[in-house]
Amino acid sequence: MRDVAFGQYYPSGSFIHKLDPRTKLIASVVYIVAIFLCTNYYSYLACFVFLATMVLVSRITIKSVLKTVKGVLFIVLITVIINVLFYSDGNLLFGWWIVRITDAGLIFASKMAMRLIFLVIATSLVTLTTTPMNLTDGLENLMTPLKYIKFPVHDVAIIMSIALRFIPSFIEEIDKIMMAQKARGAAFDNGGLIKRAKALLPVLIPLFVSAFRRADELAMALDARCYNATDKRTKMKKLTLTWRDAVAAIVTAVFLTAVILLRLGLFGLLNGVL
Amino acid sequence: MQIVVDHLSCVYSEKTPFEKRALDDVSFCIEAGQSVGIVGCTGSGKSTLIQHLNGLIKLKSGKVTVLDIDLSAKKPDYKALRRGIGMLFQYPEYQLFADTVAADVKFGPQNFGMSKEEAEEAAREAITLVGLDYDVIKERSPLDLSGGQKRRVAIAGVLAYRPKILILDEPTAGLDPAGKREMLTLIDSLKQSFVETVITVSHNMDEIAEFCQRVLVLGGGKLLYDTTPEELFYHHDVESLGLSLPHAVRVVKTLESRGFSIPHALTEKDLTQALLTHLGGKAHA
Repeated sequence: MRDVAFGQYYPSGSFIHKLDPRTKLIASVVYIVAIFLCTNYYSYLACFVFLATMVLVSRITIKSVLKTVKGVLFIVLITVIINVLFYSDGNLLFGWWIVRITDAGLIFASKMAMRLIFLVIATSLVTLTTTPMNLTDGLENLMTPLKYIKFPVHDVAIIMSIALRFIPSFIEEIDKIMMAQKARGAAFDNGGLIKRAKALLPVLIPLFVSAFRRADELAMALDARCYNATDKRTKMKKLTLTWRDAVAAIVTAVFLTAVILLRLGLFGLLNGVL
Repeated sequence: MQIVVDHLSCVYSEKTPFEKRALDDVSFCIEAGQSVGIVGCTGSGKSTLIQHLNGLIKLKSGKVTVLDIDLSAKKPDYKALRRGIGMLFQYPEYQLFADTVAADVKFGPQNFGMSKEEAEEAAREAITLVGLDYDVIKERSPLDLSGGQKRRVAIAGVLAYRPKILILDEPTAGLDPAGKREMLTLIDSLKQSFVETVITVSHNMDEIAEFCQRVLVLGGGKLLYDTTPEELFYHHDVESLGLSLPHAVRVVKTLESRGFSIPHALTEKDLTQALLTHLGGKAHA
């Protein structure tokens, strides 16, 4: 458990780390939109190149990036399998009962898989390169317009930062409880699915108990420090945009344009190929 | 030899920015029947060390043999190991999970393959051993008990499978002075009758001085001293390691610096005795 990556901040002081969190958040949204604009393999290639460049620039080891994919591998696999088995268009390659494996189905499934994987890597890249504090600051700032419709922006930001802050604590806690139950002979890694799920009970119950206790204590601590007693909180570290953010914005814009052009098939040459 | 640790090293999160050397070439042996204290300031590697002893952390470099089970083997028999070496973590009451006290205490025994009746018997014995009434408490929810009771139940949950070695990680942390006393008396009585070897991790030097025959001092992942409490507190500079002195030792040292010569006492009782003898001797002279 100790080694769970889960998009936990990975300090390396790279160009991407130094970007304003807002830039990274917007860029990741743009990237997600771009992924869903993709139709042909060339646009996927563009997405891949962009993402690979970002990973390289961020100086985060490929291993920790791939670890984040590991968590959703199961979902990716299921998506692929369902798409391969039940996609109905295209030329039939293999048919049995309700199962229809078609060439179009295979292509579609592979695209879906790429989409999911790119999506996960891109979003974890944001959390890997941004401290939780910065991330919530950025989000809060981006959500400011919502204040006009009485959306509790600041509270949501606090909730998020607390949630992010406690991820490592909970991992540590799970680690401890698991060890304690292991010491009493509990086995977590053998037996079937049901047996394994049952084996987790001695971990989950103490975890929930301690989560509620922590929540109570935290609420008390917030109260004790007069949380929400004043109207306007000021920030010690204000977010500022620098030349880096300009560079990042331009790169992202170029990327988005490329994907749109590829989708519209304006590179007529390529359009003929796929 | 019950426990043999040979050149044990451990690095967390190797080759990442979070890399941390938790243990660095630690070697020692513990024989059956000893009562050993492990001390060191926060982050000195105490927890990592004891977690190695019952195979909770995979051995990467070095050799550890506990109860004749070689942990550097490819597939050590963890079940047998963990049955033989009971481990009580810090704040063990937070690991209670079952609906009833009885079910929680039986969790260990049943995991180690005892039958229902055997587990019931073991639970009864363990609960009684920690000074609670089994018939009164068995159907209650562990979450409704008081702090001290919870901790006793947690200890019973470990004792129930009759380990030969008992490892306690800060068994008195968070208890009030009376609770601490009771806990220490309990551990001491277990040592006399129930388990062969007790290893205690503690920040409380008074406890170490009173209850351990031997102390291992860890600092920065290294084993700094392996000696007796008397030797450690009177002949080594433990304060420079961020540790405190037992109160009795502090009194003796203060008196020594003022020119009195007093036998090296470690506990309150010894100190009182020593002082009485000293004063009595003078009165006679």
